[in-house]
Amino acid sequence: MLSSIAEKIFWLSRYIERIENTSRLINVNSDLLLDIPHDESNDLKHLIKITGHIKDFKKKNTKENVFTFLIEDENNPSSIKYSIEMAKMNSRYLLTMLPKSAWEQFNNLYSDFNNNDKKNSEDLYQIIRNSQRFFAIISDGMQRNDVFNFIKLGRFIERADMLSRIIEDQILRKETHVNKYYQNLQWSSVLKSINGYESFKTLNKENLNQEIVLNFMIMESLFPRSIKYCVDKLDEVQKYLPKSVQIKKTTKKLLDGFSKQNIYKNDKKILKQLDNFQLGLIMLDKEISQRFFLTDS
Amino acid sequence: MKNQNTQKNNFYDEYLNDKNKPRRLFLSAYNYFFKQSPSKKKLLAKVRDSVIKTMGVTFRVYDNNKLIDREWPLDLIPRILKEKEWIEVKRGLEQRIKAINLFIHDVYHKQKFLNQNPILKSLILESPNYLKECSGVVPKNKIWANISGTDLIKDHRGKFYVLEDNLRVPSGVAYMLENRNVMKKVVTDLFNKYKVSPIDDYTSQLYTCLSNASYINGNKNIIILSPGIFNSAYFEHAYLAQQMGIDLVEATDLFLSKDNFVYMKTINGKKKVDVIYRRVNDNYLDPKVWIKDSSLGVSGIIKSWKEKKVAIVNAPGSGVADDKAVYAFVPKMIEYYLGEKPKLKQVKTYLCAFEKDMKYVLENIHKLVLKPVNESGGYGILIGPQATKKELKEYKLKIISNPRNFVAQPLIKLSTTPTLINTSIQPRHIDLRPFILSGNKTFVTNGGLTRVALKKGSTIVNSSQGGGSKDTWVVS
Repeated sequence: MLSSIAEKIFWLSRYIERIENTSRLINVNSDLLLDIPHDESNDLKHLIKITGHIKDFKKKNTKENVFTFLIEDENNPSSIKYSIEMAKMNSRYLLTMLPKSAWEQFNNLYSDFNNNDKKNSEDLYQIIRNSQRFFAIISDGMQRNDVFNFIKLGRFIERADMLSRIIEDQILRKETHVNKYYQNLQWSSVLKSINGYESFKTLNKENLNQEIVLNFMIMESLFPRSIKYCVDKLDEVQKYLPKSVQIKKTTKKLLDGFSKQNIYKNDKKILKQLDNFQLGLIMLDKEISQRFFLTDS
Repeated sequence: MKNQNTQKNNFYDEYLNDKNKPRRLFLSAYNYFFKQSPSKKKLLAKVRDSVIKTMGVTFRVYDNNKLIDREWPLDLIPRILKEKEWIEVKRGLEQRIKAINLFIHDVYHKQKFLNQNPILKSLILESPNYLKECSGVVPKNKIWANISGTDLIKDHRGKFYVLEDNLRVPSGVAYMLENRNVMKKVVTDLFNKYKVSPIDDYTSQLYTCLSNASYINGNKNIIILSPGIFNSAYFEHAYLAQQMGIDLVEATDLFLSKDNFVYMKTINGKKKVDVIYRRVNDNYLDPKVWIKDSSLGVSGIIKSWKEKKVAIVNAPGSGVADDKAVYAFVPKMIEYYLGEKPKLKQVKTYLCAFEKDMKYVLENIHKLVLKPVNESGGYGILIGPQATKKELKEYKLKIISNPRNFVAQPLIKLSTTPTLINTSIQPRHIDLRPFILSGNKTFVTNGGLTRVALKKGSTIVNSSQGGGSKDTWVVS
């Protein structure tokens, strides 16, 4: 496969995963607002922190402005709108690479989003459904070829990245609610934002606290939105790609440190570890790009 | 039912005879469409639209400076041609392309034909389509224009004429193929009533043709080079690549090794390229040779081509024969190179470079269509019978100041076929672009892409300017 095509597939997949994750994040937090007594202005800006471009947010800190910035602002590289346009741009090159039904589903996602001017939470649910349908078509009906492998690669790097950002944000933010009750509410909404509340409950019926939640979000290997699951998939997909010792090594190292004793209770330690993890992902991303996309001429 | 094609005119209608009755061969198709209720017609159009949408057949246009994908416009009423008639046309096209290829080769070698026709020679040597860098090159089998799309029209008596030879990067074949696929789905029952010659082996014929152009035997890497997603024919580039199972690349995917072989960048490292089906115009192919800041080309690729390290299809420089002055000489070429009489008619063409022709043109300008020699896409054309006195006068001055730059032709009254316009059926002008592949053998498509001018009275069939298309049925 051409390097340039591999790169476009990788990014198409990342952007679609990002669109879905951001939509869910916004919806869950907007629900949570209804439950927690709050000073409105403080409570949503952190979403912009998670997605990464807080410096570009210059408007007054209101719920509406935050949502507009996250959903529709074309100039915000972490907005849904931006990701959708970038995905569209990449998809134009992939006309013949994706199964026809996946291609059509992506077009649906794109036109559904652009059909409504004012976005509400139903539109975001629609994005989530459309994205899920897209990936369902891929996993259910696609030849396991290089295209498939790069979709997987992009998707799980993106997911792992977003997971670590959500966890980091929650730990940094919990200080604002000294009340234990609200802290737990927040953790349960974090679980919802990764679509994991029900799975978590079947495994942990009695307790819901930071240590158990983090253990689930990071190390639960059977839950598709845990960090461990993502890393396992990244490792697995490399079996089918042209060999790269370096990438394999970097992937293997990603989880080092998460299995240390008592790390989930200690905010400082876990934050440090999440930092390392994110650096590891950046490294991996760079190596993938060098190995597959920038073939030397 | 009242016939809507009652207007008596002097065009040849392919469905209806002089008495406005359907010709025998066309009866089933005529009944199928003319006898539908308006609501059934609407339904058919709706089914067609959704099929086209789902198949994703689009073309790209700029609309308010924004690049948009438009659904491909297909008229459901087919263009029907008799197999017997088509076989004659096919032979004519084969003959024509053979002579043209010999001519191009001659232009870039001994110039024997040019030496016998000094005016043509001087026109060619000045033409921007003549690329002196291509002199002396011997493409495989001496074929320069491996893929061509010749535009044909029918005149008021229903006879085919060649209007234009497109020898650079003719487009439209993907739409020809997709039109057929849509028709099979939407008007299946009508399709079954005719014995329609199949067309879907085109892409395998194309692959063979590209493979024949290679300098190497055995396994070879054939690719399509596209200018990219902003090109209006990108859909076609992607479609053909997919149908042939080969890679669609852009210039940035390619590079040259130190010994001038062409490689593409893949996730497995570099891979040698043997044949490039380029959909990039000559001038953009190599920034070292032609347009210096072209980002659509590969630096040094012309050198590789000259050293026979890669085959380029169509060969650079073949556009030299895609010129209105050259067109006028094609009948003569056929006699010169093949010793045969031309089997296909072409439109009488006056070259203002000849004094006698110029005199005739200036005296009869109001009856003629005038065209600049080196423009394409309909630019700079004057249609005498429709022009004002002032326009004619101004054009005359243009001709006098630079006669070599102009040719003139009588106005041909393009044939019409019934076309579905909303829920009514009206005659519209059409042309036809068959595609010809020259490799070890010559292959001509069964029929081709019929283009139709959807605006009443218009003869502009370009899809970018409100033209539509029809499936072309060659039937026995």
